[in-house]
Amino acid sequence: MIRSPLTNPYVLILPGFLLAAFIILWPLYQLGMISLNEVNRFGQLRGFNDAENYIAVFTDPDFLGALWRTAIWTGGIVIGTLLVSVPVAIILNDEFYGRSIARVIIMLPWAVSLTMTAIVWRWALNGESGMLNSGLQNLGLIDQNIQWLARASTAFPVQIMIGILVTIPFTTTIFLGGLSSIPDDLYEAARLEGASRWQTFREITLPLMKPFLNISIVLNMIYVFNSFPIIWATTQGGPANSTDILVTYLYKLGFRFGKLGEASALSVMMFALLLAFTILYVSLAMRRDSK
Amino acid sequence: MRKFGLTTALAGAAFLSLAGMAAAETVRVTVAEYSSKTGPYFEEAAKAFEEANPDADIQIEVVPWDVLLQKLTTDISGGANADLSIIGTRWLIDFVEQGIAAPLDDYMSDEFKERFFPVFLEPSVMDGKTYGLPIAASARAMYYNKDLFEQAGVTEVPDTWEELAAAAEKISALGDDIAGFGLQGKEIETDVYFYYAFWAHGGELVEEDGTSGLDSEAAYKAAETYKSLIESGATQPGVTSYNREDVQNLFKQGKVGMMITAPFLSNQIKEEAPDLEYGVAAIPAGPDGDRGTYGVTDSIIMFENSENKDLAWKFLDMLFTTEWRAKFTEGEGFLPVNPEVAKQPAFADNADLKAFTGLLPDARFAPVIPGWEEIAAKTSDAIQTIYLGDADPKATLDAAAEDINGILGN
Repeated sequence: MIRSPLTNPYVLILPGFLLAAFIILWPLYQLGMISLNEVNRFGQLRGFNDAENYIAVFTDPDFLGALWRTAIWTGGIVIGTLLVSVPVAIILNDEFYGRSIARVIIMLPWAVSLTMTAIVWRWALNGESGMLNSGLQNLGLIDQNIQWLARASTAFPVQIMIGILVTIPFTTTIFLGGLSSIPDDLYEAARLEGASRWQTFREITLPLMKPFLNISIVLNMIYVFNSFPIIWATTQGGPANSTDILVTYLYKLGFRFGKLGEASALSVMMFALLLAFTILYVSLAMRRDSK
Repeated sequence: MRKFGLTTALAGAAFLSLAGMAAAETVRVTVAEYSSKTGPYFEEAAKAFEEANPDADIQIEVVPWDVLLQKLTTDISGGANADLSIIGTRWLIDFVEQGIAAPLDDYMSDEFKERFFPVFLEPSVMDGKTYGLPIAASARAMYYNKDLFEQAGVTEVPDTWEELAAAAEKISALGDDIAGFGLQGKEIETDVYFYYAFWAHGGELVEEDGTSGLDSEAAYKAAETYKSLIESGATQPGVTSYNREDVQNLFKQGKVGMMITAPFLSNQIKEEAPDLEYGVAAIPAGPDGDRGTYGVTDSIIMFENSENKDLAWKFLDMLFTTEWRAKFTEGEGFLPVNPEVAKQPAFADNADLKAFTGLLPDARFAPVIPGWEEIAAKTSDAIQTIYLGDADPKATLDAAAEDINGILGN
């Protein structure tokens, strides 16, 4: 095939690249600028102030707390989702009567906006009239109402649980795609050799699913790390900042307290953190793959 | 044929609206949504104004309260702000310091100024210039449930915090799902709920030397008051999971003996729980007879970069005529800010509103200082920690006061 300069791959991806640069790199540059400037309440720049915004964020005790909770939040949801989604995907991959309905049911929560889900949960978790308390009381598991959102020790685990619940549809879908790409004869051969179900899972399913597991981990991590609605709708990061993660803390800095410089500095830091983590993970996963 | 007709009609409409825009002067107004009545009220006002001024085009944008400040911030930084906007008066100082709000004195005649109660106009005056007009005003008072009082054998409406504690315990004893004193511990105005007892003990949010008043004896006493109410079971359990609406809902359901909130609760009770027997009384006093209610005004401001200031003012002038003011104030359930409006029977004969206006001499407004939102958040955090019983009240308040002093620049 003759390659004309017009079909050069670099020329072909140029428009897409320019668009992406405009959408991603330009705001990033703006953000960087704001984070290095003194900024007034209304986002108007008032001159460079060295790295004062960054220092202010770093020395804020609330920042460290939020950072730590973000790690728990992200790790908890990503790992929890993985643990639930793998078996769910395997079950849905098997032939059984009504499978397509079951698949739709699994997908449905995805169609509801995250904020809406969070608000419904806020009602369900209401200490006085919430469904969760009355449900647990009817089952005889508790004999007194629990004020779920009153303190972080109950609110934060519940929030992570809601996070897992809403992340499952997307993750299961990725895994279902992965499972359908594994040829059936591998399982047949294994069965002929007398392999147990656990053995086929460990030796066939898991290794062949690895690229899909990696993708779901990276994508979920980025998404969950930046996820705002669940925590905001249920507790707004309270009581006393004890359920704040970095995004909710960022929102408070920027829009409640009007510290747009510090908020920009924080978002640049969050971006760098995610980028570093993703590169690290992807390179580790790739290296193991190519071995 | 039908399609053709539709297209022509659309094109004609588009042309007409273009032509209209070219001739008309546009005034954009950002309006905070107080209730479902807010939007229709302002649309009606805009229509009436446009009829009287055919060249004018008033565009109303209704924004929920929660996101108003965020919207204004993004609009202003992008240079796309409206000509007029409702803001919380406590934000005004930032708008004035950054040169975003326009002074209105040149437009205001003496007759115009006399339309207001001075106490409500004052918070918008900075450095001798008026930057905003009070569009909404409210204060806080104590609502109490007469049925619960009777059942618990409480005959006198508590007038001090000690009496309140005693009454609250008696009412709480009525049943598991009954709370004597509804205490809010979450989201907007959590700090304010603490100030009621704080002011009653003689506290000042910002003391004379410009430092925070949270590390004072009054604050410790107020914290003790609330903490002992929580510990004796006189409040609903888990106060940090209840915001203002949650507590109001409990009150409407008849599950709360007493709570402190704004006049608009009476409007809600009228519509949602008309059978509830309730009364409105003063916020309890402290041992020395001090008491304080929280006065809040929202202001409407004109932006410095507005291109149609004269027309915008004309619209403001109409909004602050007695007829339009009375309509707004009655619909939303606020306190009248204009003497003429206050004289109308709908307000003068309303017992609930009278209780509120009677409290106005004790009204305190949020201090006009930059960074107030952050100070309020620090205060709320400290109070939530105390309500949860996670830390020693005195140490928590002292730490919060130190943080706040940092924000105040001491």
